[in-house]
Amino acid sequence: MIEFRNITKTFNAVTVIEGLNLIVERGEFCVLIGPSGSGKSTILRMINRLIEHSAGEIRFAGEPIRSFAPEVLRRRIGYAIQSVGLFPHWTVEANIATVPRLLGWDAARIEARIAELMALLGLDAARFRTAYPHQLSGGQQQRVGVARALAADPDVLLMDEPFGALDPITRDSLQAEMRRIHAETGKTIVFVTHDMDEALRLASRVVILDKGRIVQSATPRELLHAPANDFVREFLGKDDYGLKLLSVETAGAHMRREDSGAVAEAVREQDSLRLALSHMVALKTDRLGVEDSTGRRVGLLLLADIVT
Amino acid sequence: MTRPERRAVGRFLMALAGFSALLAALPRSGPLFARLFPQLDRPLYVQQPFLDLVLAHLWLVATASLLATVVGVAAGIFVTRPSGREFRRLVETLSAMGQTFPPVAVLALAVPMIGFGFWPAFLALALYGLLPICENTIAGLEGVPPAAREAGLGIGMTRRQLLRKVELPLAAPVILAGIRISVTIGIGTAALASTVGAVSLGSPMIVGLNGNNIGYVLQGALLVGGLAIVIDLGFEAILTRLRRWTA
Repeated sequence: MIEFRNITKTFNAVTVIEGLNLIVERGEFCVLIGPSGSGKSTILRMINRLIEHSAGEIRFAGEPIRSFAPEVLRRRIGYAIQSVGLFPHWTVEANIATVPRLLGWDAARIEARIAELMALLGLDAARFRTAYPHQLSGGQQQRVGVARALAADPDVLLMDEPFGALDPITRDSLQAEMRRIHAETGKTIVFVTHDMDEALRLASRVVILDKGRIVQSATPRELLHAPANDFVREFLGKDDYGLKLLSVETAGAHMRREDSGAVAEAVREQDSLRLALSHMVALKTDRLGVEDSTGRRVGLLLLADIVT
Repeated sequence: MTRPERRAVGRFLMALAGFSALLAALPRSGPLFARLFPQLDRPLYVQQPFLDLVLAHLWLVATASLLATVVGVAAGIFVTRPSGREFRRLVETLSAMGQTFPPVAVLALAVPMIGFGFWPAFLALALYGLLPICENTIAGLEGVPPAAREAGLGIGMTRRQLLRKVELPLAAPVILAGIRISVTIGIGTAALASTVGAVSLGSPMIVGLNGNNIGYVLQGALLVGGLAIVIDLGFEAILTRLRRWTA
C-alpha cells in the first residue's frame, strides 16, 4: 500500500532520515515508535506530502506520490493529529463532512456518512451533531477528528500521536475503539507514538526508529521475545518488561478448556494476560473463569498458566 | 438567532429609531434652539436639509471605508502568505504612516493636487482608515490555530480553500473589529471634509465656528455622535453573529 524506497530527508543540510526502506502492506496497523528526534513524524508526514522527501521514491497504491497533486493524494489518505485541529467555526457534522464536500459528494450521501461515522466512533448524534468543537471534551474532539479523517473512506489512515494529549482513561477507551475500527474496516493505518504500551496494544507491526533509521520491524510478540539490540531492550523497559510480555498474550490462548463454573470471577477470551493477572492480584485468587464475547464460559485460567 | 444576537440587533434598532427621531425633530427645533441661545439671529441651520447632510456624510464614509477595507484586507492577506511574507514590514510601516499623518494635513496636501470637494476628503479618510483594517487582518489571520491550518492542509484543502473556508472565517471577527474601528473614527473625521468643500455633517459645524453660531455646531455634533453610535451598534450586531461559534 505504501512503499518507501531508499528515502532520505535533509532539513537545512541536516540529514534526519537516511536510506529508509519500508513497506506497509494493505490492512496493516503499522506503528512507528522512537524517541523524539527519531524521525517518526517526519516519515508519517512525508506520506501525504506535508513534508517533501529529499531523495528516493515513496509509492502509494503502486504510484509514486509525486504523480498526484498534493490535495488529491491527501483526500485519499486520512490524517489525524495530536492537536486534533477541528475547525472551531464549524459544527461537528460540518467538520466530519469536510473531505466529502471537497470531493463533491451529494448531500444525501454526506448525511448518511456522517451518521455512520458518528455511530462508528461512539458519538451520540442527537447530542453532538450540531455542537461546536469547544463544547466537546478532549476525547470527544479526537473522536470527531478520527471520524473526519475516515470520512471519505480513505485507503490509508495516518495518525500522529492522536491520543498523546488525552487522560489515561480516555486514551484507553480510544485505543480500544481504534482496534475495533481497524478490525471492522480493515484500513491500512500508520500510527506514530512514543508510548510502547500503546504500540504493543495497537500494532500488527511495530517499527522502532532511532536517529532516522529502522532499528527493528516486527510484530509485538516477536519484538518482545527477540529484541534486536540493547536500544530496543532499553525502549521496551526493564521494570515492567514481564508485564509487556503478558500484554501481547490473550487469556483465550492460555486457558484450559475446563469447566470453570465454580469460579465466580471471569475475564474475556480476548483480554490480555496482563489484565487477567491484575484481576487475580486484586481478587487475591489464582484462578479466573474465561468467557467468550457473548458471556458464555469457555475455560479456566490458572495463575501457573500465566507465569509459565 | 441566539439570545445575545437578538439583544444586539435590538440595541441597534433602538439606536436607529432614536437617531431617526432626532433627525425628524431637528428641522422643527428652531424654537428650542432659540430659547437655548437667545443671542443668535438664526439658531437653526437651514442651508441644507439635515437628511441630505447625513446621507452625504454616510456616502463619504462608506466609499472611503470600502476602499480602505479592500486595500487593507488584501494587503493583510498578501503579507501573511508565504509569497508575501517579506513585504510585511513594508506594508505595516506604510499603513502606520497613513494613520500618523493627520487627515487635516492630507486634506491640505490633496487640495492643491486634486482640487476642492469630495475627492480630497475621500482620499484622506481612506488613508486614515487603512491601518486598523490592515493590522487586524494580519492579527486575525495569525490568530488562526496552527492545528486547524495543518489539519486543513493535511486532509486535502488547497491553500485557496484553506484561506476561504478556514482562515478568513476564523479571522473575520477580528477583521470586522478593525473595520468597525476604522468606520467609527471615519464618521468623526469626515466632519473635517467640509473644510475642503465636501458636503458632510461637518458643514453646519464649520459654518457655525466661522460665524460664531454655537447652535449650528451643536446640531452637527448631535448628528455625528448619533450616527457613530448607530453604526457602531450595527457592527456589534454583526460581530455577535460572527462570533456565534465561540460562545
